Amino acid sequence: MKQDRREFLIKTGCTLGMTALATQMRHFGLMSALAQKVSDDKESAVPNDYRALVCIFMSGGNDGNNTVIPNHNDGNISNYTAYSNARLASGLAIDQAALLSIPVPRMSNLNYGLHPGLGPQPAGANIVNNGVHELWSQGKLAAVTNVGTLVAPMTRTQYQQNTVQKPFQLFSHSDQVSQYQGGRSDIETYTGWGGRMSDLRTSPDNPSGLIPMITSISGAQLFTAGQTTLPLAIAAAPTGLNQVLNPAGYNGNAASNARLLAFNQLRSQDLNSQIVAAASHVTDQAIAANTVFATFQDVTVPFPNTSLGNQLKQVARVIKKRTDLTVNRQVFFVQLGGFDTHNGQVNGQSGLLIQLSQAMRAFYEEMVVQNLADKVTQFTMADFSRTFSPAGVGAGVVGTDHAWANHHFVVGGGLTAADFYGVNTTNGTPFPTLTMNGPDDADSGTGARGRWIPTTSVEQYAATLARWYGLPDANLATVFPKIGNFTNTNLGFMQPPA
Amino acid sequence: MSSLKSRFLLRIISTSVFILVSLVIAYGQQDADPNSPTPVILSENDSTRALSSVAAKPKSRTASRAFLPGQRAEIFVTNISFMDGEGANSVRVYIEDAVGHEYRFPVIDVRPSEFQRGVYNVVFEMTDELRYWIEPPTQGDVLVRLTWRGLSSNRVRLAYGSSGGTIKDDPGAVPTPFASVGKNNSPTAELVGYKWSGDRMRFLEQATFGPTQSLDSRIRRIGLRTWLAEQFEMSYPSVSNPYPNIPLKSTDSQAAPPNGCGPQPNPNTPEYQLCIRDHYQMYPIQTWFYKEALYGEPQLHHRVSWALSQIWVISGVDTQQSSWMIEYHQQLSKNAFGNWRTLMSDMTLNPGMGNYLDMIRSTRTNPNENYPREVLQLFNIGLFMLNQDGTVQVDGQNNPIPTYDQNTINNFTKVFTGWRDCRVADLNANCPDSVAGLPDYKDPMSLNTGQHDLTAKTLLIYPGVTNQNVPACTGCTAAQIYTYAYNSLNQALDNIYNHPNVAPFVSKLLIQQMVTSDPTPAYVGRVSAVFNANRNNPAQMKEVVRAILLDPEARGDVKSDPRYGKLREPVQLMTNIYRNFNVSDAAGTGRSDGDINRFPSGQGQNAFIAPTVFNYYPPNFIVPGTTLLAPEFGIFTTGTAIGRANIGNSLAFGQINVALPNTPSGTKINIGDLQALAAGDTTSNQLLDHLNTRMMHGTMSPQMKTTLMTAVNAVASTNPLARAQTAVYLIATSSQFQVQR
Repeated sequence: MKQDRREFLIKTGCTLGMTALATQMRHFGLMSALAQKVSDDKESAVPNDYRALVCIFMSGGNDGNNTVIPNHNDGNISNYTAYSNARLASGLAIDQAALLSIPVPRMSNLNYGLHPGLGPQPAGANIVNNGVHELWSQGKLAAVTNVGTLVAPMTRTQYQQNTVQKPFQLFSHSDQVSQYQGGRSDIETYTGWGGRMSDLRTSPDNPSGLIPMITSISGAQLFTAGQTTLPLAIAAAPTGLNQVLNPAGYNGNAASNARLLAFNQLRSQDLNSQIVAAASHVTDQAIAANTVFATFQDVTVPFPNTSLGNQLKQVARVIKKRTDLTVNRQVFFVQLGGFDTHNGQVNGQSGLLIQLSQAMRAFYEEMVVQNLADKVTQFTMADFSRTFSPAGVGAGVVGTDHAWANHHFVVGGGLTAADFYGVNTTNGTPFPTLTMNGPDDADSGTGARGRWIPTTSVEQYAATLARWYGLPDANLATVFPKIGNFTNTNLGFMQPPA
Repeated sequence: MSSLKSRFLLRIISTSVFILVSLVIAYGQQDADPNSPTPVILSENDSTRALSSVAAKPKSRTASRAFLPGQRAEIFVTNISFMDGEGANSVRVYIEDAVGHEYRFPVIDVRPSEFQRGVYNVVFEMTDELRYWIEPPTQGDVLVRLTWRGLSSNRVRLAYGSSGGTIKDDPGAVPTPFASVGKNNSPTAELVGYKWSGDRMRFLEQATFGPTQSLDSRIRRIGLRTWLAEQFEMSYPSVSNPYPNIPLKSTDSQAAPPNGCGPQPNPNTPEYQLCIRDHYQMYPIQTWFYKEALYGEPQLHHRVSWALSQIWVISGVDTQQSSWMIEYHQQLSKNAFGNWRTLMSDMTLNPGMGNYLDMIRSTRTNPNENYPREVLQLFNIGLFMLNQDGTVQVDGQNNPIPTYDQNTINNFTKVFTGWRDCRVADLNANCPDSVAGLPDYKDPMSLNTGQHDLTAKTLLIYPGVTNQNVPACTGCTAAQIYTYAYNSLNQALDNIYNHPNVAPFVSKLLIQQMVTSDPTPAYVGRVSAVFNANRNNPAQMKEVVRAILLDPEARGDVKSDPRYGKLREPVQLMTNIYRNFNVSDAAGTGRSDGDINRFPSGQGQNAFIAPTVFNYYPPNFIVPGTTLLAPEFGIFTTGTAIGRANIGNSLAFGQINVALPNTPSGTKINIGDLQALAAGDTTSNQLLDHLNTRMMHGTMSPQMKTTLMTAVNAVASTNPLARAQTAVYLIATSSQFQVQR
């Protein structure tokens, strides 16, 4: 039978992957797992229904209250006036005329507004498209509202009376980040839900193991760590894929080659020290991936030359290489920092949301060009949202403090429809009541700041994405150990797998 | 030597003998032998199976019984000696199962054997406390290791659930019955070279920005203790490298000089670029910092200050001017050998900190929770109640006990309202460094009495707390508010300082910064006790630093615990290489020394520009795929692993060339001495032996040496410089060197 290029790559890939794996086994002493892996490798065909999830982490905690805003004056639920009453005097409120309208079927077709940073911008550096707002009307943008860390559903009374376990250390950056990324809120975890999902999907969807199933363009992150999956972490564009993992200083002459050989051999020595072994293992992974990244193709669509733009551009390059990498499912992690807007939020958040919107839109359009619009889904996460009540006063100064439930965006061609998704709050909709010391506020009394209690858990949000990714229902509880505490494990924003 | 004896056994026995010998030989320094004996777990006479018993029945010293989950097991350990108060929390028991998963079983008790002098009974519970893998399968033998003071015992077999199974002994493992362990007392030839040279080099890695040949010689002459005493008294920074005196500027960099640098000329001019670089970027403090790290005398002060700057983090991300950062660093370093409580005060009112964590704009009417939260969570007590050895306290359901809740944050927030950048107009304000028209980011913040919260507050509640209630200030005059606000501030800081968490929390962070990522609770507890014993001592931190560096867990020629040590952070990876090889700035101006920041910066450590208040890497980072607590791995990824290797390439083979105008090229290592060694011995033995001592304090394995020698000798012997460079590169980029251990 004729051996085509793809088959050839799979086979050689097995060899390389086995080498990399063998090294990992050596480093961590997992020899019998290796034996198991050998038998798994008998399956050769990689399914051909590529899918990828791209997690965009808004580090510091994006203020959802200034990202998705009531743009109506309906008297029955929180409207624009409720919003501006709380935020106008301090200079934090966004003028209603500036909001980018989105009709929301779930909210009886009432109008909501997106932050103006998510729409078209005046011409300027790093403005390369019309932003993500346009995607709403195309059904390629949705919002999951009032989502946050939960151990189990809890009412305000339960919160106040401590009758339902709370997520540990609410309002603390590090802990809330680790819960969003770890996928559970009752205890600290060693692994993230992206990593655990990859542990389960690597064998069927990434048998060659040329690169790990997960790639981070933003360093080591809990989200990307599984028990057996370690992430690839590489630099953002403009660094070429052929440079991100390339050891410098080797010119190919005999002495250089001997040095390179030694450089590589040293990593199989002195592994009694587990710290040395861990460092060697990560470096081994880098060297292995460097080989497969030796050539790459650039993207077609213009990307903004920003932190997030360059990260997503690198993701798009890796995706473009997916056939060579023989990987059928991938998870990516990118991150944009600066959302911890205790002060200077008006300009600060605006700049960040423009950056977010430009980069996400460029990435979406690149996926359209790569014919993968419905195969690749971007979604946002963040530490938490921010207090409805401002901190400080004055346009240049005003900011917000740490809060809880947030609104997150999902972008991609695999969405069901442009809408709000999530579990209803006490007002019968998935959008919280914007009242300090009101029915959705975790705070109470006159000093209440407006920290909305989530009605949708991170796990419900994540599980919906994980199902679409191809995680079998039977594995849901492995990846999300507390998912059983929540009734609805599919929020419905993703189309069912074909 | 008998071929049946392992090298391992010989070394541990000889070590203990050597201790006795060294006590007799007088030596020209006041240091005791830094080495602790290496513990040995006793086995049966004819196998590597642990001598063990179920703890409930101490008399039944049978070996072949199988243990069950949750049971308490007792093993017997010799060649170990405990200080007063050193007990169960100084040893750890690790279990590896047949599939290579590792678990840690909590040690319940350590006590002298009632049967045999020199033997200790170690009781542990068969319950994994790492909880990374699901519980070990009860399907046969597991291997047991005990670690103590950074040293690992041999590994012996223990039956878990049932006896037997597929697990293999470690290569070279031999039975260790008491009869054989107790009798051998022959010295070995391993004790060559200078006494404790390995320990000295390790000490310098912990206490400085890298060993140098001259520092090593000096410590060999005067000993660690005298050197520490010298360092404690040395003026800081070096006389030749004072803090840069950068004037305050307008917060608008585009303002006209002298207040700003603008407006930006088109085309850009070198003058404009330099003005921005020297005022609105961190370059001046980075240059100063690296000069002090590379060439400075008060190394310990600099190192401790650097460690503190990674706890009380402020960052150039939100600190606009280098003058603000320099003032912050002066306040920090002033207290590096001082008292923690004073440091707390100076940090709280520092305007750079105030700006970074928003206290400077937190007012009664618009309070901001940022500083109050982090002063508790990150700087002083952490999120969970700690025992004095740093372990987390849990409740009846085994959940960690929180130290505070949002309500506590709200109350502290109120206390911290009303301060702002020092203004002469504020009551009793003292702003000697203020400049008219510019915000004063040099003097401590002053109080705007009208914006201080006057309601009652409840501070942290903890066992033994006193004075936790701040009363309201009703009907107060401005003068009364002034007194009230400062009293409240002091009361609040006292309330934090008196929290039982502070000592273990701070001690562990500093140990992690200087010595090892995952110290035993016993080590944390010893340092913590020193912290507490010196609570009112103005030189408290000297005692704490001394305790950290002289602890037996820090000291010793070789550390064999697989988890001992720490990944070098990028800054110290770089400075260690530079300092090890007679770093110099070719042009003699030191200007290139700031530009070397490009190296660590690319690997996740842009000095003084941490991404967030959580520092460059978090202190509780676990290496993915393992249970290793190793903070620096937070910035060690596939990408930075190669980036770090490329630092080695740049340092070994090149020098820093600086792109900015008027800045010469320069910072480089000088390896003429290595070149001479390579030229004088074409086998490369001398070169590699020398580098083994110099870079790896004697830990280079024979295998590693062979690998290096092949590569070095592939370079023509007519090019000794390239041979030396090749050797330095390969060691500097090896994982063996990247880990300080």
